[in-house]
Amino acid sequence: MGEPRLPGTYLKEKEMYQLPGIVEHRPDAKYSFSAGQAVSRFLEGLKQGRILGKRCPRCGRVYVPPRSYCEYCFAPTAEWVEVSGEGEVNTAVVSYISTFRERLEEPEIIAVIRLYAPGYTGKKDEYEFPGIFHKLCGVKPEDVMSGRVIGMRVRPRWKPPERRVGSITDIECFEPVEG
Amino acid sequence: MVARPNIHVKSKVAIVGAGLTLFRRRMLETPRELAWEAARMALEQAGLTLRDIDCVVVGSAPDAFDGVHMKGEYLADGAGGIGRPTVRVFVGGGTGVFVPIAAWWHVASGLCRSVLAVAEEKMSPAHPHPQGVFAYIWDPILERPLGPNLIWIFALEMRRYMYKCNVPKETIAKVSVKNKRNALDHPAAQAAAKITVEDVLKSEVLVWPVQRLDISPVSDGAAALVMVNENEARRVTDSPVWVEGVGWTLDNTHWYNRELAYPRYVNYAARMAYKMAGIERPWKEIDVAEPYDPFDYKELHHIEGLMLARRCEAPKLLEEGWFDRDGELPTSPSGGLLGVGNPIAAAGLMKVAEIFWQLRYEAGARQVKKPVHKGVAQAWGDLMQAATVVVLGV
Amino acid sequence: MAWSMWWKEARRIYKFPGKMEVEKYVYTPGLHGLEAARKLKEEGKFVGTKCGDTIYYPPTTFCPDFSEGGLAEVRGPWRVAAFTVIRETMEGERLEKPIVVALIVPDDAVGGIIHYVDVDPDKIYIGMEVEPVLKPREERKGNPVEDIVHFKPKIEEGEG
Repeated sequence: MGEPRLPGTYLKEKEMYQLPGIVEHRPDAKYSFSAGQAVSRFLEGLKQGRILGKRCPRCGRVYVPPRSYCEYCFAPTAEWVEVSGEGEVNTAVVSYISTFRERLEEPEIIAVIRLYAPGYTGKKDEYEFPGIFHKLCGVKPEDVMSGRVIGMRVRPRWKPPERRVGSITDIECFEPVEG
Repeated sequence: MVARPNIHVKSKVAIVGAGLTLFRRRMLETPRELAWEAARMALEQAGLTLRDIDCVVVGSAPDAFDGVHMKGEYLADGAGGIGRPTVRVFVGGGTGVFVPIAAWWHVASGLCRSVLAVAEEKMSPAHPHPQGVFAYIWDPILERPLGPNLIWIFALEMRRYMYKCNVPKETIAKVSVKNKRNALDHPAAQAAAKITVEDVLKSEVLVWPVQRLDISPVSDGAAALVMVNENEARRVTDSPVWVEGVGWTLDNTHWYNRELAYPRYVNYAARMAYKMAGIERPWKEIDVAEPYDPFDYKELHHIEGLMLARRCEAPKLLEEGWFDRDGELPTSPSGGLLGVGNPIAAAGLMKVAEIFWQLRYEAGARQVKKPVHKGVAQAWGDLMQAATVVVLGV
Repeated sequence: MAWSMWWKEARRIYKFPGKMEVEKYVYTPGLHGLEAARKLKEEGKFVGTKCGDTIYYPPTTFCPDFSEGGLAEVRGPWRVAAFTVIRETMEGERLEKPIVVALIVPDDAVGGIIHYVDVDPDKIYIGMEVEPVLKPREERKGNPVEDIVHFKPKIEEGEG
């Protein structure tokens, strides 16, 4: 590189706040997100303690969470299927920080769960699978680190029906299936 | 599944100049001043002036980092885009390498003789931390109610990779050690350091297995390239570096319905680029590589996606020193995002600039030991989704 | 099932609220911007970027040909180049005193500033000469939009 000295002027945080001419602005953007048709039905299912998915009539792929269309066949996924909720831990980690990077008092265990789906044509090692992203309970951080939880059979622990609102958090967490 | 691009181009495309600003946590310059500084340096190195430029391609990641909407329009004057056909491209973290891809088709199509390709990112305006912007990556209905932190998704992917390929954390930490060491020789570097595997393993555990020193820093910075057609290239330089292949792919957003241990989208993009470049055995034909390394394990992940190693083989080769600067296939000789810094779009373009300097033997203390003729640069973006790949050759 | 039928399945469409979790943005003034901010804060003067015979305001640091510009004071006089009169709030309520907003351009520079003009809306015209009313020195931050209270019509001496 020809240029030994590159342009750019580093500022320490304190220096920045002392600069004349800095401008601060507080954004106040609020949003309302629509869950859409397929996911709204899925959320209704959660409220009833059921996990629903959709099957593509052409290729047989099962989508959990459901999608209104199959991205491969580009066809509407007409048929609803219910899965038991049981599945295997695909990957899991131990979070020591909150969304905004504050230290948590008690670490949380986060996982991707590969769900058993009836009639799913995919092989076990296939690239795609019906699955859910959620928290794990009833396991220790050491089990995550040792790898013991990966492949472990788990099922949802539901909130009591009166506290369910139609949200992914109607499932409290996934817990190991005994025996 | 591999795309078959039309490779009957009107002209070959060459890179003839590159420019960079420093990468730092926060800088005095406005985003457009950063863009200008990098662009001016690229033009100077090419021996051209702004008057010689036909078209401009700008790349920048989400507007919410700089805190300016329509960043392409905002950056246009600093990128030299006023009064010229100018476009801004954006594919998340993959943007930096997508900038020269877009510039390539501007020139290869015969539409423009010369393109100024500029990438800029200023992540410091967002307070208290750009992390708040990253929160908007998550699905608002199925993911955000769980209170995720961006690092979760990387930790989940890293854990899966460790499990599938049976890789210990110690091995992955060696990527961070290598890249931060390589960056000691980079004049733009923000996070260059002589550290040990111990240091990485002792650093703060954020989301196990991800620790503080597994992650690249938050940065401000800009990078630029001058890209021209064959006639222009022959006129302005004796040592053009040719863009021999480009490839890019997008996967879906349903990352937790996919196998995280292997990035198929990187593989598709790589195959597209290699096919165009006539490369059949990348692990033998590529001499130097800049795989995207915002996290240390990602470099190994991407090396495998780029077919520079077999699946699950990258960690073993890393242990053998294969990817060191004096190794068989040096990766991230620049120091990568882990060492030089991560102003998102600018970091990706910095990787392409590094391959350009390596192939011209202009990388100074960073020059790899082996002779080099072909190199590859790659970036990744979004929810384990986007891949952009550029193959350069001399 | 036909596409037209498929939407009828959910009984209710769920909505989820969101809020941008950025507390604030902090914008740095830039290279010439910093010099201009100092000059405005300390001396109440305006500084632009000089390229050849042309001064650009606000300062850009770089010139249209990509060379680095110099610093130069913008002295004015400032003139109204375009204006608009606001008579109602966003909610449609009548304002007691209409607000006049104008694009104000100095005679000796390219560019300008958008700001309030303290003037009778029926008397303002394009080309009207105006001058900035600055906050006192100790209240100034170096940012022209905040440091100028408003512009006011310039009354030639002896006319008033």
